[in-house]
Amino acid sequence: MAELDPLIHAPARLQVLTTLSAVSEAEFATLRAAIEVSDSVLSKHISTLADAGYVRSRKGVRAGRRTTWIRLTGAGRQALREHVAALRRLIDAVD
Amino acid sequence: MESNLAQQNPDDPRSELAVADEARQRLAAGLRLPRGLHPALAAAVAVQVCAGAYGIAAQTAAGLAVALAGVAVLMGVAALLLYQFRRINGVRVDGLSSRIVLGTGGTSTLVYMVGFGAATWAAFESRWWLVAVAAVAAGVGYSFGTLQWWHAYRHDPAAHANGASPRVLAALAALACLGLVALLIAG
Repeated sequence: MAELDPLIHAPARLQVLTTLSAVSEAEFATLRAAIEVSDSVLSKHISTLADAGYVRSRKGVRAGRRTTWIRLTGAGRQALREHVAALRRLIDAVD
Repeated sequence: MESNLAQQNPDDPRSELAVADEARQRLAAGLRLPRGLHPALAAAVAVQVCAGAYGIAAQTAAGLAVALAGVAVLMGVAALLLYQFRRINGVRVDGLSSRIVLGTGGTSTLVYMVGFGAATWAAFESRWWLVAVAAVAAGVGYSFGTLQWWHAYRHDPAAHANGASPRVLAALAALACLGLVALLIAG
């Protein structure tokens, strides 16, 4: 049975992975606007998630500006699925 | 700007999931299709079907060139629309790319195949008005399939976001061109 993932347990990281599951790749500023956190907070979380192999980032260009693009990896998708399943079991147990 | 993080109870799993889901819905709800996507896509598919039907029926080098030009028009319009989508929204959604470039999905595939078949038959019979009608029907149906996908995506983004990657789409487009050439040479 899947357990809660301590890396995703931080609410902001759960939001990052959940939001990325809606797209194939998102630009840093777009992700920041959806999650409503500061640049530095998002950078820190992305860095942690990238170190764990849950997301991958690359430098790219949008409208002539150099930007960072972020995407969920296969491992990240699996970790998210298992973490959400564990959270739902917790909810069911409480109910 | 730490927003809703502070408003939720971090120990409440229901709240955690709800806030995460809200962020995902916020992103999906903010996405916009490029202006004129549906008419442009329908027109590009209609041109490609007309050109392909003419090329197959003509079975000449000139016909081959026309058919390939039709594919190039469709691929060019698709690439432009996807570039605009990415530029406007700051995201790439492979599910949309697959719909626009490959016409994946029941409605798009069925209408395109029937339209292309009818247009090719009509071209062999030199019924050019029927070629045009079939091509327009194929284009409208193809575009309608994309619209259906868009509504489904907005309702449940995670379930509809996936599709073929840009590299796979480019490889398939090249394969389609080679297949068309082989078909015409064999014919």
